[in-house]
Amino acid sequence: MRTRELTVCGLLTAVALALSYLENLFPLAVAIPIPGVKLGLANIVTVFVLYAMGADRAFLVLAARCLLGAMFAGNMNALLFSLLGGFSAMAVMSVLSRLRGLSVYGVSMGGAAAHSCGQIAAALLSLGSLAPLYYLPVLLVVSLFTGALTGLVSACLFKGLGHVNLKVTEAD
Amino acid sequence: MKRRPRLRPTPWDGVTAALILALAVGCGALFRGGAPEGGTAVVSIAGEEVDRFSLADAGEREYTANGYHLHVTVTDGSVRVTEADCPTQDCVHTGAITRSGQSIVCLPGRFILRLEGGSSDNTGVDAVLG
Repeated sequence: MRTRELTVCGLLTAVALALSYLENLFPLAVAIPIPGVKLGLANIVTVFVLYAMGADRAFLVLAARCLLGAMFAGNMNALLFSLLGGFSAMAVMSVLSRLRGLSVYGVSMGGAAAHSCGQIAAALLSLGSLAPLYYLPVLLVVSLFTGALTGLVSACLFKGLGHVNLKVTEAD
Repeated sequence: MKRRPRLRPTPWDGVTAALILALAVGCGALFRGGAPEGGTAVVSIAGEEVDRFSLADAGEREYTANGYHLHVTVTDGSVRVTEADCPTQDCVHTGAITRSGQSIVCLPGRFILRLEGGSSDNTGVDAVLG
């Protein structure tokens, strides 16, 4: 990995961490009282890295974000949730982003839905009960809206970056 | 850029959304709550069942789960977590549940309150002394 890529990865990890902290300011969970309901703003970073730098870099940024996020929160129990959610989302988006017919909106919605499934899987493991499955339908419907929202932000981001001569990788 | 993303929504995005919605509806049909009269509440903490009571027994209950305290109120066939000192407060925001199959979950406490069908008299135990 060249210095430029390493620096950009570090910066994007910081952005992802800041975004996952920022989304606490939007208490979506008060409107929809279900554990795990959130905007998923940090997913914008995963979408960006996936397109701009490829799946391997997205994997690194995501792993760093999950580890540091759990450390800052002082809650290692949350690590399982963010890891399973984050990596399900990344795996699905990595496949979906290869499909020519899909735009960033479809990719983001798929990622958000996969994130919900991953978190429910973490809840099943952590609680040792099937009760969390009850929340999955609502989480999936919510993920359609949050996925479309982060898709919109990503689309604006890529559109904006089209006007600046940003060099993310050596190949650019 | 490794790959140029498409920035405008395509019909295939709609198909993706429809598939997710279908999955949600499918799961909803599988896991939806049963009869309105959920007879028995089952409380488990960290995967172990710790309590089982009938919704007919109105009153207040206290649980300690993973260091957090949850105050549960049972009234007239419904049950809710009225107070908890956990950081997320999802259990309190969930509000009252009434139907069998519904549950209140406190993730930090690894606490689950789940409603089961039928009344608690079906357990075969008349009284527990001691």
